Amino acid sequence: MVNLTIDGTQVTVSKTATIYEAAKEIGIKIPVLCYAKKLMPYGACRFCLVQVEQMKGRLIPACTTPVSEGMVVTTTSEEIEKVRKTVMEFLLVNHVLDCPVCDKGGECDLQDLAYEFGSTSNRFEGEKFDLPTDEVNPLIERNMNRCVLCGRCVRVCDEVVGYGSYSFINRGFETKIATAYDRGLSCEFCGQCVSLCPVGAILPRPFKFKARPWQIKEVDSVCGYCGNGCTVTLGVKDNKVETIRFNDEIGVNDGNLCIRGRFGYSYVNHEDRLTKPLVRKDGQLVEVEWDEALQVAADGLAKAQQGQGAGILSGARLTNEELFMLKQVAKTLGTENLDNSGGECYKGVTEGLKETLGVAASTGTFPQIEHADVILAIRSDFYETHPVVGMVVNQAIRRNEAQLLVVADKKGKLDKLPREKTLLSQPGLELDVINAMCKVLLDEGLAKTDGVDGVEELQAALADFGLAEVAKRTGVDAAALQTAAKQLAGAGNAAILLAYGLPYQGLSTELATAAANLAMLTGIAGREGSGLYLCGEKANSQGAIDLGILPQGNGLGARAMLAAAAEGKLDALYVVAEDPLSSYPDRDSIAKSLENVPFLVVQDLFLSPTAEQADVVLPAASFAEKDGTFTNAERRIQRVRHGIKSPGEARSDGAILTSLAGKLGSSLAFTGSAAIFAEIGKEVPAYAAFNYNEIGPQGVVWGGETLQPASRKLVAVAGGVAADGDFKLVTGSALYHSGTISTRAKGPTAVLSEAYLELCREDAADLKVADGDLVKVSGNGTELKLKAKVGNRLPKGVVFTPYHFAEAQVNRLYKGEAVIPVKLSK
Amino acid sequence: MAETAENIQVLVCTGTGGFASGAQGVIDAFEAEFEKQGLEAKIGKRCDIKKTGCRGLCANDVLVDVIMPGQEAVTYDFVTTELVPQIVEEHMLKNEAVEKKVAGKYYNQFLEKQQRIIFSRCGTIDAESLDDFLAHKGFEGIKKAVTMTPEEVIEEVKKSGLRGRGGGGFPTGVKWSFCKATPGDHKYLICNADEGDPGAFMDRSILEGDPYGVIEGMMIAAYAIGCDYGYVYCRAEYPLAIKRLQKAIDTCHEKGFLGDNCMGLGFKFDMRIKAGAGAFVCGEETALMASIEGERGMSRPRPPFPAVRGLWAKPTNINNVETFANVSYIFYNGAEWFNSIGTEGTKGTKIFALTGKVKHTGLVEVPAGTTMKEVIYDVCGGILNNRKFKAVQAGGPSGGCLPAEALDAEVDYDSLIKAGAMMGSGGLVVMDETTCMVDIARFFLNFTRVESCGKCIPCRIGLKIMLEILERITEGKGQEGDIELLEDMAYDIKKSSLCGLGQTAPNPVLSTIRYFRHEYETHIKEQECPSHSCKPLLHFKVIEEKCKKCGICPRVCPVDCITWEKGQVAVIDREVCTECTSCYDACRFMAIE
Repeated sequence: MVNLTIDGTQVTVSKTATIYEAAKEIGIKIPVLCYAKKLMPYGACRFCLVQVEQMKGRLIPACTTPVSEGMVVTTTSEEIEKVRKTVMEFLLVNHVLDCPVCDKGGECDLQDLAYEFGSTSNRFEGEKFDLPTDEVNPLIERNMNRCVLCGRCVRVCDEVVGYGSYSFINRGFETKIATAYDRGLSCEFCGQCVSLCPVGAILPRPFKFKARPWQIKEVDSVCGYCGNGCTVTLGVKDNKVETIRFNDEIGVNDGNLCIRGRFGYSYVNHEDRLTKPLVRKDGQLVEVEWDEALQVAADGLAKAQQGQGAGILSGARLTNEELFMLKQVAKTLGTENLDNSGGECYKGVTEGLKETLGVAASTGTFPQIEHADVILAIRSDFYETHPVVGMVVNQAIRRNEAQLLVVADKKGKLDKLPREKTLLSQPGLELDVINAMCKVLLDEGLAKTDGVDGVEELQAALADFGLAEVAKRTGVDAAALQTAAKQLAGAGNAAILLAYGLPYQGLSTELATAAANLAMLTGIAGREGSGLYLCGEKANSQGAIDLGILPQGNGLGARAMLAAAAEGKLDALYVVAEDPLSSYPDRDSIAKSLENVPFLVVQDLFLSPTAEQADVVLPAASFAEKDGTFTNAERRIQRVRHGIKSPGEARSDGAILTSLAGKLGSSLAFTGSAAIFAEIGKEVPAYAAFNYNEIGPQGVVWGGETLQPASRKLVAVAGGVAADGDFKLVTGSALYHSGTISTRAKGPTAVLSEAYLELCREDAADLKVADGDLVKVSGNGTELKLKAKVGNRLPKGVVFTPYHFAEAQVNRLYKGEAVIPVKLSK
Repeated sequence: MAETAENIQVLVCTGTGGFASGAQGVIDAFEAEFEKQGLEAKIGKRCDIKKTGCRGLCANDVLVDVIMPGQEAVTYDFVTTELVPQIVEEHMLKNEAVEKKVAGKYYNQFLEKQQRIIFSRCGTIDAESLDDFLAHKGFEGIKKAVTMTPEEVIEEVKKSGLRGRGGGGFPTGVKWSFCKATPGDHKYLICNADEGDPGAFMDRSILEGDPYGVIEGMMIAAYAIGCDYGYVYCRAEYPLAIKRLQKAIDTCHEKGFLGDNCMGLGFKFDMRIKAGAGAFVCGEETALMASIEGERGMSRPRPPFPAVRGLWAKPTNINNVETFANVSYIFYNGAEWFNSIGTEGTKGTKIFALTGKVKHTGLVEVPAGTTMKEVIYDVCGGILNNRKFKAVQAGGPSGGCLPAEALDAEVDYDSLIKAGAMMGSGGLVVMDETTCMVDIARFFLNFTRVESCGKCIPCRIGLKIMLEILERITEGKGQEGDIELLEDMAYDIKKSSLCGLGQTAPNPVLSTIRYFRHEYETHIKEQECPSHSCKPLLHFKVIEEKCKKCGICPRVCPVDCITWEKGQVAVIDREVCTECTSCYDACRFMAIE
């Protein structure tokens, strides 16, 4: 700690603090423009100049200068104010000052500073900027006439996002911020630059002329898409979410957002939202009153339970409280057939991790990743499924020189980061690489085996995973593999990342088990600062696991329920917040399940393909319309807050479930989310430590920053099986989408609106396929036509298609395997 | 240059200046002539042609020294290929120097007051020859240094009193000790050869004439600080310097002078050249490092200083070419010897690059403490065309203009700052009475405005506005209060800019206002340029009383708008005149205004 004096007040701060941060701590506000909390010190705007007695004769930038013992700082004086005012005059000479029509007006840093300095006149004169605006893309508008060249967009895109869209070009007064070749912006559209622009130079186009900032009601909540759990601030006007804002002061994940969080909100305002319950009458779904719909649903489910039984399948976008109520419904109904929709693909967590480490969650928290020395990402798609954690990885590399290792079957965003090392394996064989890494550690005596069970068994089981054999089998360089294993074992802090989701079902348990083995042998599991991260795809996947939305007793899981339904052995299905027909592997069999099940209730936001088959459709609320908690993939429980009322008569899942439980005869009655949360604590001990009303902006992490494994048991897993066939198809997430719901949002669909088949240039040339051509993909007894996307991400012989788009019916090809042999033709 | 030799030696200046004046042709001519005449056979001695570095008097290139065995060198200037046969014929065969072509008295005068230490090898040894370097004390410095501990080496540099020659004048030994004190197993050494000041070219000359000397200085620094890798950041506009230095580095590699065990002396040091991309700001150390890292050359805030967190975030020491060259000599001759040269605050010699309206432009190495007057008048022969001295711009675009009254200022760091200029890299631009001081301020500001990296607001926008005000003054559109506004904003820009570029860019304006305020006032109040330099303010009128009726002006006029008859005062037709100033420049009697 360092002691210093600022404007006569003593302050003690960390020695890494800057003068600006120290002053802020005691409530002294030093004006800044180019400073941003999450970016490296930059020092361009010069508004933060202060005087330091020990550095007489010059003015010192407060935002870049670290504090030192005994420093005496003066933050305002005649001289300082004069210089600041002159700098402001300079800035305003050429600035267009079109504040009346600028969306930033009212929350513009330049406006605020000019107001603060009382800059009423200007001694200097000059022409106003007249640069063309960049309106090429549908999401982000760039008006360089308003730019103050603070470089925040350049820096955030480089330091945090790791994309590098922007750069300064030209020199002197002609300096400006531009994209490559000064063309229109074309990037991953995370909008981080929008969040950080202090003026109206970079604005969200969907929000243009929608509202003045002061007309907006801000509601801090949690993003409803992936398991990152980023804080989003809903910008609400007239019961409509008009924009998403960010909060880097108190938000989770530093206020970082991706395209989904930033621009993917519009589905909540979608005109196709269900507004009234529907019941099938004479083969047609017709609108009915809630009471009738609930009664039909309750009767149908109860009747089925009397017969061959009913099953409940829930998505992971329900709050913890709603999931708790769902469980009550199952209990009241008397069915053990319960699962969360990701049930199959999360088996890595619920079974793999459970068996090895005795826990069913990630062991570390996301901020720890920034301080990792070595990061191993299994499957490159981590950035695509959890973009904001990907940003943390980028920061670890750029700020702390972390070494990133990727074991994957294709390249992704992570592979573009500095110093990363990709061990490119054949699809489906990542498992072999992880096994081989374990073997290296065991063979070379580098493994940490104290208190770990099953060492000898594992050693024996890994006999076939020698470096040379695995290298031959997977195509990974043996020496690189060995180095990677050693780096991971030798790291002080390390992280292993593995993402989960519906498109990653194949070898789910095995990969997690192998990763857990590696985490034990490297000492990562349970060590402070290190972590094994198995991250679920949806906003509350972890909550669903924590609350045990899993088969009860001898009940059926998701796949088993659907299979039983297909075979006519299940009499009713209650599907909540999920569209299995669109998102589940093996669409044809799901179609059969839905067709054959005598009674189907679907509770969702839209009349999804699954809902179209239903007997009862219950209109539910989106994340923006409800209160409760989500638990993200790092075990962080956060408050979800409603910003708007649901459209029409749609109700929150919690309200629907409570009513349904009532109709089924339950006497349970809760007085809101806080009470239910308290009730959850009784069933889930980890949650008992927290009080709903005391969950702050940073949420609370159950199990602590580092979750201690309950057991350390190595479990051998066999390797993957290499697929034959001309081409190997893998499916997964595309960066711009999450699940299927984002395909209803304008932002993500503006960038990516349909499925594609990605293949490498070499394969494209062989097939004489150009970008955008239709390609016939046949395999698993099905043939699809997909648009070709030619790139350099994939190795020869491997093709990829994203799973989000229902119309493309990719899940007719994909039946849950790790890799699908396919044939391609033009 | 007095050197005797067994063989006949022909030393040809092959610096950039020499080459530009045709040195290659001269060398070829000598070789051809030797062969044609069968010279070696005729006189029974070998004839060596040495391609040396620059020897300072670049304006008189090609300079050639002919050394007959046992005799003093004879220097010829303005040597052309046509002259070569005569030199060979008369000087070499008959041993009679071609007196008419021998450099005049001015050449000795030029050298007399100089103390050429850093330049002692430039112009005398073959710049590309390691053997020649070794024969002239080469690598004796590093050999001596490794007999001391690194701490002792730094102490020796501190004792010498050497201050950074890049302009700031920070004590070199102290700088080294900072970097040494920073923990880290990997440290970098950078040689700043991004010499960008208009009119400064001493670093280029050193690199071209004595590349090994710079490498040696860097090796000593690397050994003392513990750096294992070095970069020479050299501007790409110096192809010859890069070529020679690269050759020297390659040779050092081959011979084991650089590498894992330098010269077998037990330390590791390797280096490479990084060519700049033409940005002046990259001479600023933080921008330079950004540029090496492949980033845009933009300054970064300090602290952290490079010694703590520099290139690739590692501790880094940066010195300029001339500083490293000095280091070698400190270790040849000892700190005490070095300390005995110069003034109280500035030790050793300093190289100045003289350009502008001075008779002998070129590079001059004088002991610190020599007065400006001595440099301009005694060494460089005074003002061109015997016009009146008006000012000298010292320190490049960051420096200031000193008037005649300041001519007695000694050239050392502290005196120059006191006088309102700075040592800078050592560029001296001499101006005579035809130079307008407002225009000079405008010229330098235009340079810095264009070269600003654009990062901080005061430098990016402030300089542009300053320039616009200066432009309007030189166009006769100045307004009452402009001078005060310039002074005021100059102060704010200096105070608030991020790096040295912006912090010093207003200096030329401030120093010209300080010493030549009346010129600004005349421009603004009377719309007149006292030096008749600002074109929009010129009248192009012949002053009858001053006109000597010589008839030179009509001859130089490209549009024939001047009528003159013998014995008559010339008359300029303003209708046709294009205001090209040819007549004004040509008039010896200042009779045109």
